[in-house]
Amino acid sequence: MTDAVAFKPESPAREAWRMFRRNIPAMIGVVVLSIIVLATLWGTFFFAGNPYEIVWAPHEAPGVAPEFLLGTDYLGRDIFAGLVTGGGPTLAVGAAAAAITMVIGISLGALAGFYGGWVDNLLMRITEFFQVLPTLLFAMVLVTLFSPTLTTIALAIGVVSWPQTARLTRAEVMKIKELEYVTAARAIGAKNRRIIWQVILPNAAPPLIVSATLTIGVAILFEAGLSFLGLGDPNTMSWGLMIGSNRAYILDAWWPVTFPGLAIFLTVFSVSLIGDGLNDAFNPKLRER
Amino acid sequence: MSALLEIENLRVAFNTRHGEVTALDSVSLTVNAGETLGVVGESGCGKSITALSVMGLIPSPPGRIAGGAIRLAGEDLTRVSEARMRALRGAELAMIFQEPMTSLNPVFTVGDQIAEAIMLHQKVGHAQAFRDAVALLDRVGIPSPDRRARDYPHQLSGGMRQRVMIAMAVSCRPRVLIADEPTTALDVTVQAQIFDLLNEIQRDFGAAIILITHDMGAISEMADRVAVMYAGRVIEEADADDVLDHPQHPYTRGLISCIPALGKGDTELREIPGVVPPLHRLGAGCAFAERCAHRNGRCDSGKPLLVNHGHHPAACHAVQEGRI
Amino acid sequence: MSASFLFRRLVYGLVLMLGVVVLNFILIRLAPGDPAVVIAGEMGGGDAALLDAIRAQYGLDKPLLTQLGIYLGSILQGDLGQSFFFNQPVATLIGNRIGPTILLVLSAQVLSILLGVFLGVIAARKPNGVLSGVVSVVATVGYAVPVFWTGIMLIILFASVFPIFPVEGMQSVRLRDAGLWVRSVDIAHHLVLPAFTLALIYLAQYARLSRASMLDVLGSDYIRTARAKGAPEHSILFKHALRNASLPILTVAGLQFGNLISGALLVETVFNWPGMGRLAFESILRRDYPTVLGVLFFASAMVVVANLLTDLSYRLADPRLRGKT
Repeated sequence: MTDAVAFKPESPAREAWRMFRRNIPAMIGVVVLSIIVLATLWGTFFFAGNPYEIVWAPHEAPGVAPEFLLGTDYLGRDIFAGLVTGGGPTLAVGAAAAAITMVIGISLGALAGFYGGWVDNLLMRITEFFQVLPTLLFAMVLVTLFSPTLTTIALAIGVVSWPQTARLTRAEVMKIKELEYVTAARAIGAKNRRIIWQVILPNAAPPLIVSATLTIGVAILFEAGLSFLGLGDPNTMSWGLMIGSNRAYILDAWWPVTFPGLAIFLTVFSVSLIGDGLNDAFNPKLRER
Repeated sequence: MSALLEIENLRVAFNTRHGEVTALDSVSLTVNAGETLGVVGESGCGKSITALSVMGLIPSPPGRIAGGAIRLAGEDLTRVSEARMRALRGAELAMIFQEPMTSLNPVFTVGDQIAEAIMLHQKVGHAQAFRDAVALLDRVGIPSPDRRARDYPHQLSGGMRQRVMIAMAVSCRPRVLIADEPTTALDVTVQAQIFDLLNEIQRDFGAAIILITHDMGAISEMADRVAVMYAGRVIEEADADDVLDHPQHPYTRGLISCIPALGKGDTELREIPGVVPPLHRLGAGCAFAERCAHRNGRCDSGKPLLVNHGHHPAACHAVQEGRI
Repeated sequence: MSASFLFRRLVYGLVLMLGVVVLNFILIRLAPGDPAVVIAGEMGGGDAALLDAIRAQYGLDKPLLTQLGIYLGSILQGDLGQSFFFNQPVATLIGNRIGPTILLVLSAQVLSILLGVFLGVIAARKPNGVLSGVVSVVATVGYAVPVFWTGIMLIILFASVFPIFPVEGMQSVRLRDAGLWVRSVDIAHHLVLPAFTLALIYLAQYARLSRASMLDVLGSDYIRTARAKGAPEHSILFKHALRNASLPILTVAGLQFGNLISGALLVETVFNWPGMGRLAFESILRRDYPTVLGVLFFASAMVVVANLLTDLSYRLADPRLRGKT
């Protein structure tokens, strides 16, 4: 009985990783995102400067003063200091909000898709209701009503963003629950909860992972928008806040708004390159194209 | 006098992950006006590619016509401009596809789809074209054609849709009508009706029909002449009766023995063992050798040519050596 | 299209709106502190007489369900409450601001769909061509750029480098009293940058979506049939294929509408566009909750109407759905 093990197929995750590694845009995304995350970690834990401190004349152009390479803002605060310290809250809120979105969305979507019937009906009506509310406006209301801290902001973004994840999960679960291995699991008497968590969801993982990646991007944009409007946590520097507070002076100085905007853009851009790369890696059908 | 449609040494190649593969190799066929040529073979043998080549619809890239000629009344279709080809398509050359369920556009009424074909090739307005479409629906045996012309494809049954496809195909009285497995997706009773309809249409319009099928039964009902294809080549060609009564190539013999014979008590469905080899694995020898009971050393070293060594032309070393 | 379908969709829309009203009610009660103070807003609050008046008006001393009843009743009469900051009824405030928002949102929607679909269709002709690559890069960029930042960059560009479009407001002060035609042109001129900014995010998404959808459709049997008829390429693309490929685009257009309104909120703030988004921003900074919740109500109503229209047009575009209820 040796011939049975002669051919060992590559595991799907391994094959996806092989595909992903060969995807140049996705690898660029990984590199850029790593640089941003490392710079942010450095800025949060090791950077000695203070982004609120007025260190120089206002509106010094980039490259003029060698200590302030990216220039200063309308008060004379160092923009580089803002960039490296402001990334932390933005990334943390983005990641936390995406996690909350995924938890709510996957739980409700899995329940709706698995149980069907009135459970599905009820949950889908709730989902549709939440899709009617304009997300940013609803999040603004939540944040102002319940004090703008990083936690509230992450929760608010999560509470308004989950419907899409729920719909995706529901569709995947409905597809997978009809497959043979689920019937097999039922036949050996597995409990519903076990079937959902250990049989169905692992098989629905690829699209959910892609969706989670893209959700991080959306959440970061969301946080930036709230901070831009002045609804972020007033006690923390963030990229959105830098743009918002310098907005009145854009015709005098372009740099205080340009650099934080580029930082947001590059972060979300690299995240979505990674998301696209994962999508391609998980979807063998698209590889042929 | 030369034939209406003449395919000569046609070679079609596709770019694939395995490099360039030859989907059709030295295919030569002729059809005369009013005649029905049956092209038979299992799926993947090149029947449909032959049909699409004639229509100029080979998806390109990855496919291309790599050699040979396709002459319609003397005009080489492999060399004409795309505009000329478009003018011929639908007017002189028409095609009926295998899947009536998906071959009609779901968002337009069937009357409009037939009328479009008419308006593309004749200088008539929509109202006139639509009236012609209704008349055609009537001609192909669709009851209350006035109402049906305003229906969408999803409102019709499979057999009805195939009738619509036929009406569309013959709307401009084409000289060559290609029917690619026109009845495969339909019920057996409907199949017979569609064949009757095709025969009638041919009588009325005098078109040459190329019937592509894997079903020898359909051949015996419809075809005047038969070409058997295997792995992108024509391996046997003759009058339908000759092929059916005296098959030469072992593959043709296999196909014919697969027809369930009525009244013989032989209910077992037979099939030829093995499958058509993938095109990128074709070697120097006969493509059928792996599945053939008469294989010998020569079959592995050289491809047999389509020559007459007995009753009629067949591309088989065993036949040519008189071993079968 | 059946009347019963229309009726059921309308009722469902009304139920959703009722849900929004109840949500607004719950939000005020959930917020920390005295609801009367919350309603008065932190700027106008503190005046004891005003708080008493609010308590009486909203029945805040009565049981919760009665309060909800009073709230629903007043909304049904078109009374969304009083803005204590602007010192105007909320309904009036929003009535003055809803027009500009609808104009902005619809222009952006039309612009992004038309341009996006056109690019997507062209790109689908050559799935591995240069344009396809450009579309997918632009789509990723468009998705990743914060919309308020795009607006600001465009303002910098068009205020100082190419001063051909106004970068602020909706009308020129000196043309306020001009004739209708002159004013319309003036508004359209002001609309260019905000609408383009807002459209930019979605334009690329529509391009990408319609490219994928077209590629799918172009491989189908009925496209081969159309080619076999001798239909020319533009008819294949824009008639036979696009009509089918537009179905998923319509779905997304409907779903995007809520996001579009969220985007409009940021764009209106950046360009000082006198719409509901800017009103929401101003009233949130002042903790003017009746106005904020009124905007939330109206913005949701716009989404409900948009969804209804999407459903209807979907049925018009796909004959397979027409008979169904």
